[in-house]
Amino acid sequence: MAAVSSRPVGEPGNLTAAGLLVPATIFVAIGLMVPIAILFRYSLNAFVPGQLMVDALTIDNYVKFFTDPFYLQVLWRTVRVAVACTVFCLLFGFPLAYVLARTQSPYKNLLVMAIVLPLFVGNAVRAAGWMVAFGSKGFVNSTLMGMGVISQPIEIMYTEMAVVIGIIAVNLPFMVLTLQSVIEGIDRNVEEAAFSLGAPPMTMATRVLFPLALPGILAGVILTFILAMNAYATPVLLGGPKFQTMGPLVFSTFAQQNNWPFGGAVSFILMTATLILTIASSLLIRRRYA
Amino acid sequence: MASLTLDALTKRYGDNVVVKSVSLDVRDGEFLVLLGPSGCGKTTTLRMIAGFVPPSGGSMRIGDKDITTLPPWKRNAGLVFQSYALFPHMTVNENVGFGLDMRKVDRAEITGRVAEALRLVRLEGYGERYPRQLSGGQQQRVALARALVIRPDVLLLDEPLSNLDAKLRLEVRLEIRALQQQLGLTTVMVTHDQEEALTMADRLVVMSDGAVRQVGTQSDLYERPADLFVADFVGRSTMISGAVTAPGAFRSDGGLSLSCQPSAAAGPATIALRPERLTLGAAAQGLANHATGKVTFVSYLGALLDVHVRLNDTDHVVVQIPNRSDGHVPAVGDTIEVGWPASACLVFPREAA
Repeated sequence: MAAVSSRPVGEPGNLTAAGLLVPATIFVAIGLMVPIAILFRYSLNAFVPGQLMVDALTIDNYVKFFTDPFYLQVLWRTVRVAVACTVFCLLFGFPLAYVLARTQSPYKNLLVMAIVLPLFVGNAVRAAGWMVAFGSKGFVNSTLMGMGVISQPIEIMYTEMAVVIGIIAVNLPFMVLTLQSVIEGIDRNVEEAAFSLGAPPMTMATRVLFPLALPGILAGVILTFILAMNAYATPVLLGGPKFQTMGPLVFSTFAQQNNWPFGGAVSFILMTATLILTIASSLLIRRRYA
Repeated sequence: MASLTLDALTKRYGDNVVVKSVSLDVRDGEFLVLLGPSGCGKTTTLRMIAGFVPPSGGSMRIGDKDITTLPPWKRNAGLVFQSYALFPHMTVNENVGFGLDMRKVDRAEITGRVAEALRLVRLEGYGERYPRQLSGGQQQRVALARALVIRPDVLLLDEPLSNLDAKLRLEVRLEIRALQQQLGLTTVMVTHDQEEALTMADRLVVMSDGAVRQVGTQSDLYERPADLFVADFVGRSTMISGAVTAPGAFRSDGGLSLSCQPSAAAGPATIALRPERLTLGAAAQGLANHATGKVTFVSYLGALLDVHVRLNDTDHVVVQIPNRSDGHVPAVGDTIEVGWPASACLVFPREAA
């Protein structure tokens, strides 16, 4: 062999390296892979009312999901909300991240704190705040009505828009921080070189800045998309009982209907949809800018 | 190609004036070097010419065209950065062709001109590589080709050699100079390295504290420095402080009576001496100024020797002599005769503190 390690296998250095991997490996195996495997097995079981879960090997649960317009509607709504949230996070997040990365201000750390601060407020607390603000007698409507701008309260609560706004507010910091760290790694002189060669700002951005920020754009998109697909508190509190998305559906199937096999199937469909769409969007972005 | 004119160009950040009313005329095809210590405003001046820093006052012209308020992408200035600033996600061909692409030059012509530019910088056959696959010197040459290929009105070089190792720096220096002359490029370079400045420039501009101290050729700056700062910054000088007591007579703080050029005005002054204008030993006797001193330090520079001589409690000089194998090498502690002609004394009135 040409490339033999200078240290024989089994020397202390290798053992240490292997040893360092053990805790994380065990954690991932026991904490993640095993439950998912069990869940997948459950999703192939049958559900008999009164008896709950019955051992079986059937795809009935998946068939039930994909043949019932109600469930398909839930999946489609979830994807729609997640895509909208991700697109808006990227659109709002990129300029913000760019300014944050390039600022010479001595208050930069404060600005970063201001971005992170919303994360200190839990999702449920934040959503409760939105409820107060956007209710039909809430702050926004009463102000607008008081000013005479509107005569009827605007319906914001319990709409898709409320959920989208709510999730964007939660996810934006993740997008901004991810993009910021990547943009900071791009040499400012590269942008100036493009300008001096005759590229106006938008051309510079599409030809130089975006391609170089691609790893950050991908990471940010993946992160916010996954978070949006799996959002729980925000759709429940801001969407109301009729606004079903996949996250809350998983919970109610397990906890309220006690239908573990179907719950397992819904979980797997959510996981798979997230994975497929993430890969698809990565390929799309890569092809556009690489 | 065209001339470049700066007229009272000024940059203020709040109360802090970093460039103070700089006026310069760069002639068509001239290589002008802005030289000065860090923080002297030379880089800010270059960035104003490139269009990245809006001036607080004054104006700039390329030829007859006022470019003061033009954005960088409309200036047609070729810029080479210290960090090269190549586009890492593009091949060498794409990097060099970028500026032509922006100018909507058609494909076939781009291919031809890119190849021509790469030939000029001796990088034929490297077109398909990515910047990360090139050495520092090669990346620098790609950056140069990228700036040249757009046929810029002015070429701006921002410390272009600082990231190269010493040996390569000498080579690239001469290459850039040859190319600049061959193409007749109006060029402004910024550097803090005076040797680099001296070898490359047609004319030099010495700056400090945001202001121009002197503009001139190499010999102007070296033989006739405008002030003590230039005398100290360009080349090396040893300083003797004292006062001009009568036309052509100088008395040092250490008590030496020296003769200098009669044109020097009376009053407190400092004399700057170039180390190579001084003579040691018997030959010193016949010169207008001579003194006896003790050798305190000898540094061996290969071809040359620097001999530090203490003349009295306050005055000391550095003498540079050629290192000849047959010659006598002074040793630390030797008592030795030092001499120099009156013309070697560059006299500067002491600046009011």
